[in-house]
Amino acid sequence: MTSSSEPDRRRILLGAAGAALGAALPLSGARAQELATTAEAQPDSAEADRIAAEFLGGVAPQASGLKLEAPETADNPAAVPLHVVVTEPLAEDLWCEELIVIAERNPLPLACRYRFSAATGAAEVALRVRLIQSMEIRALARLSDGRVLEARAAVESGVGGCGM
Amino acid sequence: MSRPPRIWMSSATPAQGEVVRVRAQMQHVMESGFRLDWNGAPLERNLLTRFEARLNETLLIEWEPGPSISQNPYVEFAFAARESGTLRMLWLDDQGMRLEAEREILVAPA
Repeated sequence: MTSSSEPDRRRILLGAAGAALGAALPLSGARAQELATTAEAQPDSAEADRIAAEFLGGVAPQASGLKLEAPETADNPAAVPLHVVVTEPLAEDLWCEELIVIAERNPLPLACRYRFSAATGAAEVALRVRLIQSMEIRALARLSDGRVLEARAAVESGVGGCGM
Repeated sequence: MSRPPRIWMSSATPAQGEVVRVRAQMQHVMESGFRLDWNGAPLERNLLTRFEARLNETLLIEWEPGPSISQNPYVEFAFAARESGTLRMLWLDDQGMRLEAEREILVAPA
């Protein structure tokens, strides 16, 4: 870090601090949010339900065998740690084909999709997501025998992390 | 942007069938395409679109992240070590970035 870059850096930091302060003021909060991003939270879980139904393909989900760990409160909504693991015993001839994570109220609720192969021999992932508000997280995993496992977790979040 | 990803592996010399855990974090802006600049113009979407890990040529995991994934995406996965070889990891983004990393895996003979 050279000293000549210091003024630039300071200005950037001040700008960022100003933006953060602006967002924190109750009166200008909505306006600042409106200017900063076009992201809008889903009004309900309809889109999440649609994504889940598409993944399920008519199969009734099994409420055991999949563990989803999420913090009850998101300290930092821009990076909420999630951990998903298939606890159903896997074998050479039984593996997890596909796993999705849905953040119900995010503008685009499908957070991500994983695919595994018979060679993986495990189905365990961890990731970090940004959440626009408090919501329920869902994980769905399809096994090679056609079963779909489901797990849910609710995360409380103070401010949105999607403008990040 | 193209700094090497940070990678941690639970073991580089696992026993046959031992589950190896891998954690990797790379630097990426994960621009969602929803944000506006100071003039109100949308910032161009630039998301990580794909991560994959292979042991030699065998696919272990592929990941398609969406805009809900945090900046500097963190990926953790596990696999059963059934053969020795090279663990190859690959990251791709919306703007053509291609990042690769490798780690050698030596499965201890039974």
